[in-house]
Amino acid sequence: MLKIIIPTTMLIPLTWLSKSNMIWINSTTHSLLISLISLSYLNQFSDNSLNFSLLFFSDPLSAPLLALTTWLLPLMLTASQNHLSKETIARKKLYITMLTLLQLFLIMTFTATELIMFYILFEATLAPTLIIITRWGNQTERLNAGLYFLFYTLVGSLPLLIALLYIQNTTGSLNFLIAQYWVKPISTTWSNIFLWLACMMAFMVKMPLYGLHLWLPKAHVEAPIAGSMVLAAVLLKLGGYGMMRITVLLNPLTGQMAYPFLMLSLWGMIMTSSICLRQTDLKSLIAYSSVSHMALVIVAVLIQTPWSYMGATALMIAHGLTSSMLFCLANSNYERVHSRTMILARGLQTLLPLMAAWWLLASLANLALPPTINLLGELFVMMASFSWSNTTIALMGTNIIITALYSLYMLITTLRGKQTDHVKNIKPSFTRENALMALHLLPLLLLSLNPKIVLGPIH
Amino acid sequence: HGGRAVSLCARRLWAVAATRGLPAARVRWDSSSSRAVIAPSAVAGKRTPEPAVRWQEDPDVEDENLYEKNPDSHGYDRDPVVDLWNMRVVFFFGFSVVLVLGSTFIAYLPDYRCMGCGPPHVYPRASASRMQEWARREAERLVKYREANGLPIMESNCFDPSKIQLPEDED
Repeated sequence: MLKIIIPTTMLIPLTWLSKSNMIWINSTTHSLLISLISLSYLNQFSDNSLNFSLLFFSDPLSAPLLALTTWLLPLMLTASQNHLSKETIARKKLYITMLTLLQLFLIMTFTATELIMFYILFEATLAPTLIIITRWGNQTERLNAGLYFLFYTLVGSLPLLIALLYIQNTTGSLNFLIAQYWVKPISTTWSNIFLWLACMMAFMVKMPLYGLHLWLPKAHVEAPIAGSMVLAAVLLKLGGYGMMRITVLLNPLTGQMAYPFLMLSLWGMIMTSSICLRQTDLKSLIAYSSVSHMALVIVAVLIQTPWSYMGATALMIAHGLTSSMLFCLANSNYERVHSRTMILARGLQTLLPLMAAWWLLASLANLALPPTINLLGELFVMMASFSWSNTTIALMGTNIIITALYSLYMLITTLRGKQTDHVKNIKPSFTRENALMALHLLPLLLLSLNPKIVLGPIH
Repeated sequence: HGGRAVSLCARRLWAVAATRGLPAARVRWDSSSSRAVIAPSAVAGKRTPEPAVRWQEDPDVEDENLYEKNPDSHGYDRDPVVDLWNMRVVFFFGFSVVLVLGSTFIAYLPDYRCMGCGPPHVYPRASASRMQEWARREAERLVKYREANGLPIMESNCFDPSKIQLPEDED
């Protein structure tokens, strides 16, 4: 693990000590090399997990998420280069430092063995993200967005701290690898019910669950592009990952306690997809679609069947890449038109045909077109939920239709039709932007050739 | 009719004010009809019309068009040399190193999960994925062999019945 942690930590001195015209080149190069190293963790040859030390381990669940996290940093740096070009050199270095710090905390969170260490780093990821949203966001609403983001997550996760300390006191260890073997079934008492709620609410807020999702559209919309990318691609998956880990300790109570959250997710999935159909703000549409996709992951994790776990893992990786790509596309529009309103930048296909191709592919991935892993994840979750209860197929089917509807709506509004007058002199697509989209899409397409690495520990 | 005449005059006034450089309120949105009304010939003789009217579709002053100074810009930086090297670095390390070498690494990952690892019962257990590719190849090989030799493809007995030793019945 140190071979990833130390280079990531050293990215910070690299940024501060580089010459002012080399900061982006240096940081992008080295973060790409770090992502190459992290790919080696996908070689999961053990049935159980790879145990590196007392502090870190990697698992067929955490290895793809680790690879996603490390792959995202160079993409975030490439995406941020334009909107930071007017800032002073110190501010640029500070931005890169915030991104690197966030990356460091995320890497350690995904590979933490001790659940308290996981908790500390989980909370630590809030600080750089808050700074990125509130300092570098574009509108005045960013302060409100940061507030919602911070306090929703904090209020959700403080009970988790208490629950973890309680489990440490009663069980003696919070080392995840040991806890798997020592877990005893917990009975349905009131204190255990509150324990379950305390453990799960932090991750429910993070995912986000439908009733607790108010922070997400605000934070995603107000954040700068790198903030939106990391929020959508990785921070949401922290919730899914945490849920998959903590439910190991909470059986068989999950079978009864999960019902309200399952109902909320199933209903929320349809509600948020429908809200997408009525959005005028492009980033807001993509944010709500994230809520919808993550609701599927919540359903999958709470059902706790082997297929649903495979689907949840595949869906998390697929959504990470797709959602990040959609935010980059929306940002390329925003940098030209300086507005997120969809109808203000219409008919872009005739002006930017290659970007239109990326838009098409990203939207097709978003609506779970075969053979992408988006489809794999959704299909597995759908089948698992059907076997859990036949009625869910109606809701899942409706969600798939509405997902297709809003993805196509987004495509048609931004690409087709006659251009508005004021977009006629937008700049052509830069190589940087095309490279960014290709770097998002190619891993997604390559994964559809070999999905077994993202199907998680059950596969 | 009165209303239209008034608005016609208002627009004419606006055009004159704009071309004469009189302080007119800077509006972000101009209706396209105002452009249709301004006849350039009406003011052309009096003074050279300066481009003092800002249209919505004019690029923002704060926006820097990287293509202006450097038509070959890749979008990374103002300096053409840094821009070029940044593009090369992203493409080389991003595509040629990580995507190509990384995909090769993953494509050649071994097939087998460790057969004898871990205690007997662990939550959750992944059993079906061990040596899957080998199992498929071995099955195809056996099927081919058995079909070629006329043997049944599968037998209903898992183990050879003659090798099972049952305890004797005790009355």
